[in-house]
Amino acid sequence: MTVRSALEVATSTDAGVIRSFNEDTIATELDLGLAVVADGMGGYKAGDVASGMAASIMVEELKQRLLASPPDSPTKILHDAAEKANQAIFQAAQANPQYHGMGTTLVAALLHDNRLYFTHVGDSRLYRLRHGKLTALTHDHSILHEQVAQGLISADDAKTSHNRNLVTRALGVEAQVECETQEQAVEAGDLYLLCSDGLNDMVDDADIELALTALQANLPLTARQLVMMANDNGGHDNISVILVKILKPFPAVEPRKGLMDRLFGWLK
Amino acid sequence: MAKLVLSLDGDVLGYHFLEQGRFAIGRKPHNDMQIDDSSVSKEHAAILTVGNDQILEDLGSTNGTLVNGRTIKKHILQNNDVIEIGRYQLRYVNQKAQTGMDFDRTMMMPMLNLRHGKGHGDTETQAAEQVDTAVSVAQAANANFPLGGVKGLEGTHVSQTLELSRPLATFGKSGVQVAVINRRPHGYTITHVEGKKRPLVNRHPIDEESYALQEGDEIEVGGEKLAFFLKK
Repeated sequence: MTVRSALEVATSTDAGVIRSFNEDTIATELDLGLAVVADGMGGYKAGDVASGMAASIMVEELKQRLLASPPDSPTKILHDAAEKANQAIFQAAQANPQYHGMGTTLVAALLHDNRLYFTHVGDSRLYRLRHGKLTALTHDHSILHEQVAQGLISADDAKTSHNRNLVTRALGVEAQVECETQEQAVEAGDLYLLCSDGLNDMVDDADIELALTALQANLPLTARQLVMMANDNGGHDNISVILVKILKPFPAVEPRKGLMDRLFGWLK
Repeated sequence: MAKLVLSLDGDVLGYHFLEQGRFAIGRKPHNDMQIDDSSVSKEHAAILTVGNDQILEDLGSTNGTLVNGRTIKKHILQNNDVIEIGRYQLRYVNQKAQTGMDFDRTMMMPMLNLRHGKGHGDTETQAAEQVDTAVSVAQAANANFPLGGVKGLEGTHVSQTLELSRPLATFGKSGVQVAVINRRPHGYTITHVEGKKRPLVNRHPIDEESYALQEGDEIEVGGEKLAFFLKK
């Protein structure tokens, strides 16, 4: 039994109303419990190359590293994979003039042993809906976020800012990248949303929360509705969403303990 | 590049370009823009450029700083804003600084030292809440189409009238049969969410695709009967 049976997943990605190309890449690998959103940037179609590399390297690295014995901690694996993706994109950008300056954001979530491990770079986000309340688990690596964090502008003023599209970190832009990796416990019933900024720049958190809460009985519809709402509000950017619903606990190893262990094991 | 056009009583006196960094306005000569007039404080206001934003801040001036007639402490300048400093007016001109005009592709910008001139570490970056960045104009997208609602004929909402002002609202019974009504730029649609049977509109099950609601349509879903209406 893998983590797959504990998850329900739905995805949607769309170029939006204004852009003719979709430079976002989404990837899921349910046997690993992995979901990835990358939002590419840079010259003619190079953003697509960068986000595609990021997603495929994350999937391949995690496949190999999680199956190694003994495996490293999921946090380390995620972190290493993001750094590997950074180097690969950076080198490709250096080696090919047409890729010069390309880069990508990244948000990757790994569900493993009843825990959520996640890493992000840039302004793609991970949200959690728990008991009807939406919480952002990532903070954007963006000028806008820094402006608010440092008190230059208020959170309300952020809506009139022109810095929505300026990220302070991205994969593939420099030889080194600082990704932010975190972990937390998962509860059955949690609903996780990974998205590119084309969603949250167009749709208020309150409306995202409403859609997730009201529609989650039909997860594919929920994903389509999020994209539709972003497009109805202008669809200025590419929009990508991955929804991951936790149906039940997913311990890494099947519990085969005796009754006494099961009763008292947690006391240790 | 952003420009400030200075005028007094409708006469243009000159203009200044805003460059990166901090641009100070005041009565004293050390300001980047000196306005030698008693209605202007010595250090009256400053404009800080951060990325694409130009943030106007009043520096505790005697007569205050106004933008478009309203007193401000801090304000992110928008194209064609009119700033009032004492008796003078400054029009802010920047085609790039328009609400909803941020179609520029995502770009990388290295972290700046945003804490100006205070070379110390005691203003730790606060663990700010995630910023809700949704474009404010986006919400107006629905404004062109009349507001709609439903009147409960049978079931949970019987004899209630509900306005449908949010982008979506669900009706029916969870786990049994649920439909969602979407408020979209060109009108309202209804879509099947869950349940083996599709909801009925005017006694016919709706398609897999969403159905565009018309004035007077009768909806049946999960034990509810609702009449759809548009406000005139």
